[in-house]
Amino acid sequence: MESLVTANVRQRPVRALVSAAGVALGVCLVMLFTGLARGLSNDLERRSQNLKAEIVFTRDAGSTQLMSTSANLPVKYAEELLKVEGVTMAVPDIRYVSQGGKGFGFEQVEGVDWDAFAAMNGMSLVSGRAPQAVDEVVIDEAKAHNNHLSVGSELQLFGNQSYKVTGIYTPEAGPRVKMSLAAMQDALEAPGKCTWIYVKLKEPERAVEMAHKIDAALPLNKIQLTRDIITNIEKSIPYLGVFLRTLVGLSALVSGLVVMLAMYTTITERTREIGVLKALGASRGFIVGEIVKEAVLISVIGVVAGFAISFVAGYVIQSAYALPFEYSWLWGLTAALIGLLGGALGALYPAVRAANLDAVSALAYE
Amino acid sequence: MRTILQAENLTKVYRVGSMDVPALRGVSLDVEEGEYLAIMGPSGCGKSTMLHLLGGLLTPTTGSIRIDDEDLTAATDAKRTDIRRRKIGFVFQRFNLFPTLTAEGNLKLAESIHGGRDGKKGGDPERRREVLRLLQLEDKMHHKPLELSGGEQQRVALARAVVNRPALILADEPTGNLDTENSAIVLNMFQEMNYRFNQTIIMITHNPEAAAMCRRIIQMRDGQIVAPSPRVQI
Repeated sequence: MESLVTANVRQRPVRALVSAAGVALGVCLVMLFTGLARGLSNDLERRSQNLKAEIVFTRDAGSTQLMSTSANLPVKYAEELLKVEGVTMAVPDIRYVSQGGKGFGFEQVEGVDWDAFAAMNGMSLVSGRAPQAVDEVVIDEAKAHNNHLSVGSELQLFGNQSYKVTGIYTPEAGPRVKMSLAAMQDALEAPGKCTWIYVKLKEPERAVEMAHKIDAALPLNKIQLTRDIITNIEKSIPYLGVFLRTLVGLSALVSGLVVMLAMYTTITERTREIGVLKALGASRGFIVGEIVKEAVLISVIGVVAGFAISFVAGYVIQSAYALPFEYSWLWGLTAALIGLLGGALGALYPAVRAANLDAVSALAYE
Repeated sequence: MRTILQAENLTKVYRVGSMDVPALRGVSLDVEEGEYLAIMGPSGCGKSTMLHLLGGLLTPTTGSIRIDDEDLTAATDAKRTDIRRRKIGFVFQRFNLFPTLTAEGNLKLAESIHGGRDGKKGGDPERRREVLRLLQLEDKMHHKPLELSGGEQQRVALARAVVNRPALILADEPTGNLDTENSAIVLNMFQEMNYRFNQTIIMITHNPEAAAMCRRIIQMRDGQIVAPSPRVQI
């Protein structure tokens, strides 16, 4: 037999659905934002881990963040680095970040001498050839798959400049699009310059010692261990964690307010029923319990809908914009708790108000 | 006969703005177990206030009420609720059934409230069926209030009031919204409950025919009992 809680929800389906939609919105916000942050972070981390250089050498004033567009380090430092005992390879690199091709997110392009870079990182072309001319690029398999590109395809970079895909490489490492160092220097009008130089060591386990050695040999520059730079995106973007926590708080607020508004209206409509419950001997706890249970039922519907919408929306955005979504159980649990607790807490005020209604006035309510 | 309700010198004064408006002016009343009592009087004479006081929905300004040996007036709000839950059943003029629940659902809700502290949440299906059978509602068990006639709704409301075997039923003009035919049916049901289960009933009514079916009639005017009739043994 139907309980008062389910019967009430069924009697007002539109209101229940609107309230559930409010909860679902909160869940979606949490799931999509955290899913995107995690997806981007993990994607970046995976690609960064495939970089085999132990040290990144750059100018002190230059950026050694994974997102950088400055090219202020003379390439000739590569030759100096190779003179340091224990350095086996030194590969100059320019990293350029631009807005995503579809106006959403961002896209990185790397200018690098392909043969040296591929040799350092154990990469190979699965089709085509390395970029040679200034309007040629190679892309990784994921980029080719997500953007439906193949050898011979055209790619727009730096706004509206057209580039030809000459090869597809594997495994993914660093930016998904790479052109020759010369082409990038030409595009940025920075001849003889790079953003940083990747340094491969003879004995990788001596990276810290080698960093000091390089610092001593080439002072007034910045030497960082690759493993320190390759952190997850949550750490490399300042205040992302704060932003996510604020988002979670706002989501809880949205869920709570929507449910509170719905339950407040419901309570006003059901004033006489509450009077009857009191006349039947229902305690305050019983009345609060019934109202909170109703709110929780609505919240459960909202949470389930929120998860479903998040997964569908994530899939659609991923397919359309090649933005990686990776959901975590922890954030899923957080989103569910936010939906349920937000709903329950939102219902608490109207519930307590109902429980404190004067029975005789409630029974006389028209 | 055991006294099931004892009200002594009840007064109730409402504060309206800066004015004190007396609704009851020293009412005393004893009701024995199994009694079927009608309270009559003109509108505004204090009948409903008295019923709400007896049901613990209001507290008197002065005076005391004992129901089945429990002091209602000295009790806290929570205790009064508990006494109401265990000892009192209400029947209202406007039926006041839960529109989203079936007839049986309304009874189960009352059982659920009653059983909250005793842990008997599922209620007593036998008792429920017996009550519904007695009130000729067996075939209406799964109907919602809007699918029932006024008379049927009031019978469901009566069933809800008696399903937990309260010591006392308080009925506030139970035939006030019914036509003559349904009024007669409902009044017969009340009488049946009184005869068969020795159910104590206090009924407010404007209807002399309804009052005539009771064992005792009390007339009220201006917040006082003006004409208590002797008890009639039927």
